[in-house]
Amino acid sequence: MIRLLVPMAVTLLLLGCQPMALQPLSALNSRIEQAGGSREPALSGRWLALIAGRGGRERVELLDLDRALPVPVPGLNRVDAQPLSVSVDAAGERLALVRQLGGRTELLLYRRSLASLQRLDLQPDGVPRRVQLRADGRQLAVEVSREGLWQIDLFELP
Amino acid sequence: MLLQSQPGGALQPLRHLSRQTPHSSPSLSWNGRYLAAVVSIGERRLVVVEDRLRGSVLRLPLPGGGQPERVSLAPDGGRLAVQLQQQGRRRVQLFSLSAVLEPDRPGGLRVLGGGSEP
Repeated sequence: MIRLLVPMAVTLLLLGCQPMALQPLSALNSRIEQAGGSREPALSGRWLALIAGRGGRERVELLDLDRALPVPVPGLNRVDAQPLSVSVDAAGERLALVRQLGGRTELLLYRRSLASLQRLDLQPDGVPRRVQLRADGRQLAVEVSREGLWQIDLFELP
Repeated sequence: MLLQSQPGGALQPLRHLSRQTPHSSPSLSWNGRYLAAVVSIGERRLVVVEDRLRGSVLRLPLPGGGQPERVSLAPDGGRLAVQLQQQGRRRVQLFSLSAVLEPDRPGGLRVLGGGSEP
């Protein structure tokens, strides 16, 4: 009985708590709409990284929210790759990315000032699915499928 | 939903979200004061934010409908990005939380001026 009552009580609590009005950021939302469909948002500082595209061709985009403009990310996107997850640090300097390329799922770290893309290896081997960079860009959490289990790997980044 | 502090992985208490399932897409503010997530209640999905300092939970209904799938909370808690499924299409929308949440800034940042140097 207690097993039933506890989830019910929490549900009632959540349904009953005071709803707060969310204020859409209309100008920024219009800018995001221009890119077509979009998914996998990652906010940090003045930056929003997301995966956007039309007709099944998707790419990673980085928006400067203060200027409501996309910023260039040379060398990050490839037409033959499918991005799956992205995250950005608060400086807009580092982006972590999971993508599929040639039948393989890759974990990558991009440094915007260098336009460099570095592959990160999982040990032991696994299939990365999602990434989350800490706001200072010095730690990366990766959701990994490994031997039938979902696990979280943490990377310290120099 | 579990919350760990790093390094060490010690479990930190969650007053509202620890028992609620299914839930997805946890997103933390700078100091871990706020934890945003998508919570499923029956057929409904809700965006909620637990304020660990106050021990409260905020329900954030989305204007315009659409089912929330993922959220990303800005580290200072000032903005929220939501991935919505609406009419078979996925899109991201941004919302301001500045009137709803107090900022959770990184440690050591002066918020208010005034007074002489120590």
